[in-house]
Amino acid sequence: MAQAAQNKTRGRKLLGASALLSVLAGLYFGLIEAPPDAYQGNAQRIMYLHIPSILTAYLSFFIVFIGSCLFLWKREKRDDILASSAAEIGVLFTALTILEGSIWGKPTWGVWWTWDARLTLTAILLLIFIGYLMLRSLIEDETRAAVCSAVLGIIGFLDIPLIHMSVYWWRTLHQPPSILRPDKMPWENIHPSMLIALAVNFAAFILLYFYLLSLRFHVGEMEEEAKTRKLYRGSL
Amino acid sequence: MSGWGFVFLAYGIVWLALLLYLFFLKRRARRVEKELAALRSSAVKKN
Repeated sequence: MAQAAQNKTRGRKLLGASALLSVLAGLYFGLIEAPPDAYQGNAQRIMYLHIPSILTAYLSFFIVFIGSCLFLWKREKRDDILASSAAEIGVLFTALTILEGSIWGKPTWGVWWTWDARLTLTAILLLIFIGYLMLRSLIEDETRAAVCSAVLGIIGFLDIPLIHMSVYWWRTLHQPPSILRPDKMPWENIHPSMLIALAVNFAAFILLYFYLLSLRFHVGEMEEEAKTRKLYRGSL
Repeated sequence: MSGWGFVFLAYGIVWLALLLYLFFLKRRARRVEKELAALRSSAVKKN
């Protein structure tokens, strides 16, 4: 058991080191190696953060969705800890996505914010998962809190296909996807030097995400053990 | 503000926020580890 814990810690450290190296590579490619955009100039470099941030947030809420479904099915505490850990990090990445988009929007669109369909649906996604975290802290009965938040986690995830399709369904200011397009491959849309910067930053965000998730999950597991031990001690 | 000004503002906010989150998470982990170690040792003493 101690050996397994040691291996986990070693794995987490390795993941952290890989994340750090890839973040440094991402900064180099995003700020130095990639050329400025012909129309947007240097402000386009914000996209090397913005796109990886939102894709990482989507991944995080997908993990919330899976963890919530598993918890409602099997009622195992581990799945609830996984879902709540992913929700917390997903909220952080969604908030950062909105901030980055806002900072990019000012020089490009001329406004910090507009009630565009995609922006509004992303803000709703953020509010749903802030609500998810608040719900967990407001309900005292832990099992009930876990069940209610699992249901909200599943409903909240359904906002993501709406966000993705919003640029097709409504006439929006936000441009259609450049990467995840059914009609073209990514390299047909973007210059390779920009695509490489985007790919390196995406890899960096994913590695950093899994490092943060493993650390947050570890904290959740330890808090659960401490709670159980306190309860056991109190019952003696 | 120039294009670079917006770029540095965005990169600054993002990496500062992520570093702060990591810092608080590490601090929380250390606190729970200490608490858990104390609980484990008190359980061993009782046994």
